[in-house]
Amino acid sequence: MSSVQIAVPLSQPPRTRILGPLRTLALRRFRLTVRTPRELVVPLLTPIMFALVIAPSLKTALHTGAGYEAFVAIGTVGLLIPLNTMFSGLGVIVDRVSGAQRELLTAPIPRGLLVVGNLLVALAITGLQIAVLLAVSIARGIQFDASSTGIAWFAAAAALFTVGMYGMAEILANRVPRQEEYIARVPAIAILPWFLAGALFPIGALPSFLTWVAKFLPLTHALALMRYGLLDDSAGLHAIWGTGDPAAMAALSLGVVGSFALLLFFASIRVFSRSAVA
Amino acid sequence: MDLAIEAVGLEKTYPGEVEAVRGIDLRVEQGEVFGLLGPNGAGKSTAVGMLTTTIVPTRGSARLGGFDVVTEPLAARSVSSVVFQEPVVDRALSGRQNLELHARLWSVDPRETRTRTDELAATLGLTELLDRSVQGYSGGERRRLEIARALVSRPSVLFLDEPTVGLDPRIRAQLLDVIADLRTRSELTVLMTTHYLDEAERLCDRIAIIHAGRIVALDSPRALLAGLGRELVELRVDGNVDSALTLLREHGVAGEDAFAVGSRLTVPLRGRTSREAIGAVHELGIARAISAREPTLDDVYLRLTGDSLATAA
Repeated sequence: MSSVQIAVPLSQPPRTRILGPLRTLALRRFRLTVRTPRELVVPLLTPIMFALVIAPSLKTALHTGAGYEAFVAIGTVGLLIPLNTMFSGLGVIVDRVSGAQRELLTAPIPRGLLVVGNLLVALAITGLQIAVLLAVSIARGIQFDASSTGIAWFAAAAALFTVGMYGMAEILANRVPRQEEYIARVPAIAILPWFLAGALFPIGALPSFLTWVAKFLPLTHALALMRYGLLDDSAGLHAIWGTGDPAAMAALSLGVVGSFALLLFFASIRVFSRSAVA
Repeated sequence: MDLAIEAVGLEKTYPGEVEAVRGIDLRVEQGEVFGLLGPNGAGKSTAVGMLTTTIVPTRGSARLGGFDVVTEPLAARSVSSVVFQEPVVDRALSGRQNLELHARLWSVDPRETRTRTDELAATLGLTELLDRSVQGYSGGERRRLEIARALVSRPSVLFLDEPTVGLDPRIRAQLLDVIADLRTRSELTVLMTTHYLDEAERLCDRIAIIHAGRIVALDSPRALLAGLGRELVELRVDGNVDSALTLLREHGVAGEDAFAVGSRLTVPLRGRTSREAIGAVHELGIARAISAREPTLDDVYLRLTGDSLATAA
């Protein structure tokens, strides 16, 4: 065996670093994710099936117009984001049970960066998947009516909703001990709200008490914003806020989704930091 | 010069009033190899967890390289590395990627990382494996990778938590050689936990025996063994062990340091030869089996805790 010098003398306290470690952690998560194709493909399957198979079938069966396919295509983004972020949360459990989480907890970096690094990758992959979903929808002949401002509304709503849902996934992953228990909770968090939030039909079609429930769901606001952005359709915003200026209603809904994102983002960091140490 | 590791009155009580560590004091010098010896559940891993900032102490304080683990955790973590009891690696990544990840998080210069990685891989026999996925590593290879990873950031303090547990004897022997090699690096302080006596005796400058969350003895292996003299006799007793011990003391065969566990009596010899002691025991007619041997750390542990380290672990 050859010889190698091991230690250095003790030094002054190091500066707290943020960007370098964040890039390292995000790169790590990305490398782990691309080695698990299920995390990339599975969340995409159901929304694409809804957009390309179920929506056209419903359009035919219900004798609705071409606009319904575009309505459902946006609605499926509201399914894709929760599914994708919940799949990302599985990686947190894998890290804890059989991965390098304990090693990362002994690194000289603020522990919240571990959550932020994972979030950045979840955001990037979700963005990529939404782009694929929309591209496939356009290729299928679905038409969107988006200006640059509209795309900005759509992107802001999608990004903030992704942040909030990833926060929820991270919290759940740190609260339940095993993957099985985590997966058992996914339908209630990712799928149930989707049926109530105006993904497949306007929330006004729900029984009145459920309409009220829907108005409090962040997903309802996110979908209404995304349709306002990509379809120039403010009906969803009107169904939530009543009559008013569409831009003002959009700003209010963005505030709701933004608050949801901020709340769950900081809660997820707190929950992780507390649960990661005994 | 700062101590490498210093703990004062360190305690950890888990919810439900489970007292895992009940106030330990440690002063480990730079360059020292220090062993925490005790069975499973004694509090070793909890103590290491507090020193490595993954467990929050209930009371007391600890410093690594002069940095307080509670108020300066980032600084404390920057001077230390940990090799955990269980495998803690990204299995989907290659060995090199695991090392590079550690190096980046510990701020190692990227130009130095490659050189250092190759040096450590050569030292630890990992060169051929480094670019393969860790998924395909054997247990021993993975453990060597974890040691290489811990060293890539040139830590001042290295924690080895039960480094050889679960490994087969051949790999364990190889790994002990690797750790023994680290012992020669004068500026690296190593704190290792183990319940293997041979590891502690071979590798450690000093040993703290920890039992039920408390340090019950702390000294060099030689000094701990010297406490039991150069030789002892061990008796298997028929009937009441306590009565037999009392009888041996009354006849001057056993001193106050003799102790009983189950049906076994262990009697350190003080100024007597084993032949004399065995003869005296035979005359008393209390033993069904008797033998003489040199003391081991297990005897030290047994005397201090009333339980064998091997059976407790």
